[in-house]
Amino acid sequence: MKPPTPADIGRQGNYAGAVTRLVAFAADIGASWGIFTLALAGLGFAINLVTGKQVNLTSRQILALIAIIIWEFVYFAYQWALGGKTIGMALLGIRVVATDGDPITPKQAVIRTVTLPLSFLLFGLGFLGILLNKDRHALHDRLAKTVVVYSWDARAARLRWLAKQEPVPPA
Amino acid sequence: MSPLPGANRMEQLVESIAERVVNLVLDAIDINAIVAQVDMDAVLSKVDVDSIVSKVDVDGLIDRVDVQKIIDRVDVDEIVSRVDVDEIVSRVDVEKIIERVDVEKIIERVDIDSLVQQTELGTIIAHSTSGIASEALDVVRAQGVGLDDFIARWVNRILRRSSADWPAGPEKLLEVPPAPVPSLPAEVSPS
Repeated sequence: MKPPTPADIGRQGNYAGAVTRLVAFAADIGASWGIFTLALAGLGFAINLVTGKQVNLTSRQILALIAIIIWEFVYFAYQWALGGKTIGMALLGIRVVATDGDPITPKQAVIRTVTLPLSFLLFGLGFLGILLNKDRHALHDRLAKTVVVYSWDARAARLRWLAKQEPVPPA
Repeated sequence: MSPLPGANRMEQLVESIAERVVNLVLDAIDINAIVAQVDMDAVLSKVDVDSIVSKVDVDGLIDRVDVQKIIDRVDVDEIVSRVDVDEIVSRVDVEKIIERVDVEKIIERVDIDSLVQQTELGTIIAHSTSGIASEALDVVRAQGVGLDDFIARWVNRILRRSSADWPAGPEKLLEVPPAPVPSLPAEVSPS
């Protein structure tokens, strides 16, 4: 297994790149949909158990859409406000902070969540800033005055990897 | 030659008498007793030592001294055995010394990678961290960072720009550069 390379060491606090952010977002979509589906199934089961009626949201698409939008808002806004990172971001070792590096405020978390869909408009042009800007700002980052940085300790990761290797006799 | 006859003999006689008298007086005097009565401090206070020292060619004096020979004669072990090291150490302000030490610089010199690989530290770290899951996570993250860099490099190449001067991240989150080491006071700094 390839170890974290020396170039990755000491990245804490550096602006996170496009691939890491994209993978984290995909993980978040998967996690939020997974939780939503499980919660819906649990709710349907409970209603069925109590009332004996079958609940099926597929026949109520507008209601389902509203429920998903509310859920996604809660999923992202709550986690960002709580610790600056979602499940996907925690997995990939990145977090959201204010542009000056301070922790993100609940207000910024809400603005970022509300403006996130704007970045998808016009074929995702709002995300181009991650590739082009020096501070890797997406449109919603700019509006919420936030940035995404690496938060994982790459140095500790390398040490962990080295520690698992066979000891090398001193030269 | 003296103009008077017999004057020479007279002169010689007087000289021999004077010589005898002086010897008798000197024999009778206890020089040590006299010196003991002298207030040396008062005498020395009247002496202009600076003036005397200023006349001495110290450099010339030092040039004549064979320092190596002096050092060879010194029994260092004997001197050290007389020194109360505990007493000296108790006078040292260790906190002040530590403040002057640039720990960051020392740590930079340490090859932590080889330290981890060659010592028990590696085993301790390995035991202190969780297993395959965290290892896999580390690798996924490392690959992500690698791909981030790869894409950023290509974007910069296509746009024909350099990101060398760009900030790596928010200033507050980046590593603080090591503080400059305060210079030693003049009286203790090596010449």
